[in-house]
Amino acid sequence: MNLLDIRNLSIELIHDDQNILAVDKVSLSMKEGEVRGLVGESGSGKSLLAQALVGVLDDKWHVHADRFHWRGIDLLRLSIEERKTLLSRDIAMIFQEPMACLDPTTAIGEQLTEAIDSSQLSGFFWQRKQQRQSSAIKLLHKVGIKDHTACLTSYPHQLTDALCQRVMIAMALARRPILLIADEPTAAMENTNQGQIFRLLASLNQLKNMSILLISHDLENITHWTNTITVMYSGQFVEAGTTEQIFNKPLHPYTRALVDSSPSANLHLPAKSRLMTLPGSIPILQHIPIGCRLGPRCPRAQKACVNAPSVTNFHGHKVSCHFPLTPLKKPSKRIIKEAC
Amino acid sequence: MLVFTLRRLSLFIFTMLLLTLLSFSVNFLFPGEAIINLSGAINATPNQLIELNEAYQTHRNIFWQYIAYLGHIINGDLGLSMASQSDISTEIVNLLPATIELSLVALLIAMLIGIPLGFIAAIKHNKPTDNLILSVSMLGYSVPVFWLGLLAILTFSINLGWFPSAGQISLLFEIEAVTGIQFIDILMSDSPYKWQAFNDASAHIFLPACVIAVAPATIFIRLARTSMIEVLDTSYIRAASAKGLTFRQIIFRHAIRNALIKIIRHIGLQFANLVTIAMVTEVIFSWPGIGRWLIESIYQRDYTAIESGLLVLSCFIFIVHILTDFIYAALNPLARGNKYGA
Repeated sequence: MNLLDIRNLSIELIHDDQNILAVDKVSLSMKEGEVRGLVGESGSGKSLLAQALVGVLDDKWHVHADRFHWRGIDLLRLSIEERKTLLSRDIAMIFQEPMACLDPTTAIGEQLTEAIDSSQLSGFFWQRKQQRQSSAIKLLHKVGIKDHTACLTSYPHQLTDALCQRVMIAMALARRPILLIADEPTAAMENTNQGQIFRLLASLNQLKNMSILLISHDLENITHWTNTITVMYSGQFVEAGTTEQIFNKPLHPYTRALVDSSPSANLHLPAKSRLMTLPGSIPILQHIPIGCRLGPRCPRAQKACVNAPSVTNFHGHKVSCHFPLTPLKKPSKRIIKEAC
Repeated sequence: MLVFTLRRLSLFIFTMLLLTLLSFSVNFLFPGEAIINLSGAINATPNQLIELNEAYQTHRNIFWQYIAYLGHIINGDLGLSMASQSDISTEIVNLLPATIELSLVALLIAMLIGIPLGFIAAIKHNKPTDNLILSVSMLGYSVPVFWLGLLAILTFSINLGWFPSAGQISLLFEIEAVTGIQFIDILMSDSPYKWQAFNDASAHIFLPACVIAVAPATIFIRLARTSMIEVLDTSYIRAASAKGLTFRQIIFRHAIRNALIKIIRHIGLQFANLVTIAMVTEVIFSWPGIGRWLIESIYQRDYTAIESGLLVLSCFIFIVHILTDFIYAALNPLARGNKYGA
């Protein structure tokens, strides 16, 4: 059974004169104990998608989905309150810029202890505080912070970015979540710290069988840590499959370009020559192309691309393109005729 | 924290030096002789004038005159009132506590009403409640205070008879002035009618304090609303809600403190405005405070009183500023430590 199953989730920005479709019918499914990467350029709507999952988007965003199942429960049938309590119990999220995500005026200890659910505590109310304190210390040890007293009494601005991110992870772990959504957890961090955070997440996945949705713009870096990858472009679903499929045999021209643009794929290039890139840049939300949003930049675009492609499934490797790169099946004749 | 205190102290000293420089130079700009303006001795005999000239060092250059003036101020000698020939510093000591009392009570009322309303408006952002609070605050801000004061007297004292219209306390009660602040004096006195006196003083202060509080409260509403909207939009609030806290917990544990930090400094700035309003209101409600005395001095061209009154009032406002700075530092851990370039 899938842990998380989302079909055709759309997020709309409610605006005065026109509504903007920031995320357009994206599907995402996750299995228990899986590490899934969600990859896309900045502005591709991946953070929006994650925030919509946890339910922390504000009123100006309108979320709509055809199916939203969490461990077999149809969340669309529940009321907003029930959905929120269910999701906040089982899903935790860590954000980019950890420093900004901690209340600057409250000590770390207080912020960490309030994240601990009181249902985990036993005993009378006068013992609770002590228990909270000791479980906060345990959480800090779990994320690899040894000097817990100094950490608990300090304020966010007194810690480094990497330490703050560890504290955020500790807070996320406080509720013993089943799914952890990590939204660019290592943005603006040094390489060594990046490695530490990723190793911590990987060990949590292996030891506690916690599923992780890892959001990143860095396809190459993320492939070391993920089992499966979903690629998004400008709010549209592009491709999903196992890490090997995505990295070695991409079907979508965009994924191909993404893999090619990384320096390791260009090792054979002579020095000082240009890296492989797609022409143009990601469209802004006010001027989104119709149909396949990659269309104007795509090297394989044809007339059919003005209609949004439907998702085709090649043995679990899903791609949303009229003209995939190495089609295992023949593309349907009808589309080619239309294109010609 | 020690460094923070020392910084504030040095700021206080230098600002006071500048203020005395201003009040000293004003003596030369007022009509009449500088020495008369300084001392207020309009009926001085030639012998007294020679003594005064000696005391204020008028034969030496302007720097030494200023030093002599500073010496007088530090010794508590602010000169004589030109109108009544009484000692200004004793008058100020008698009058200032009443103004402090009135303006602090008004500030308290303005904060207690304005800040929560602003928070409510921010939480109900773009909803009818928000619009209602905003329009009421606009209305309150645009009403002129002298008109509002007269209207309040007309309605609540004359027509309804709920509150007395003038004075600080009924003449029936005899309260010995120890600190000068009426409420503390009442509580300290051993009169058998202590609590009746307390009630009477509360009834007297209520109407003027409310009239003063209207304009600052509306400003606090707007400040609290914008800062709360800003805070609710930050990522730590979003992270807190992703952590599973309820909306109430988020507001009370995280949002209110952060929003308060943003407005606490503006409250200090608004205090000067509030004292100005209090001066006008004191005239309307015959409140025996320094504001009414100062406005009367202006009418009587009592230059010595004007100059010393301004000095004392601005000193009081500045002390309140420093106090709000301390409250700000207590609430905000970022302001406490040593920072580069701060």
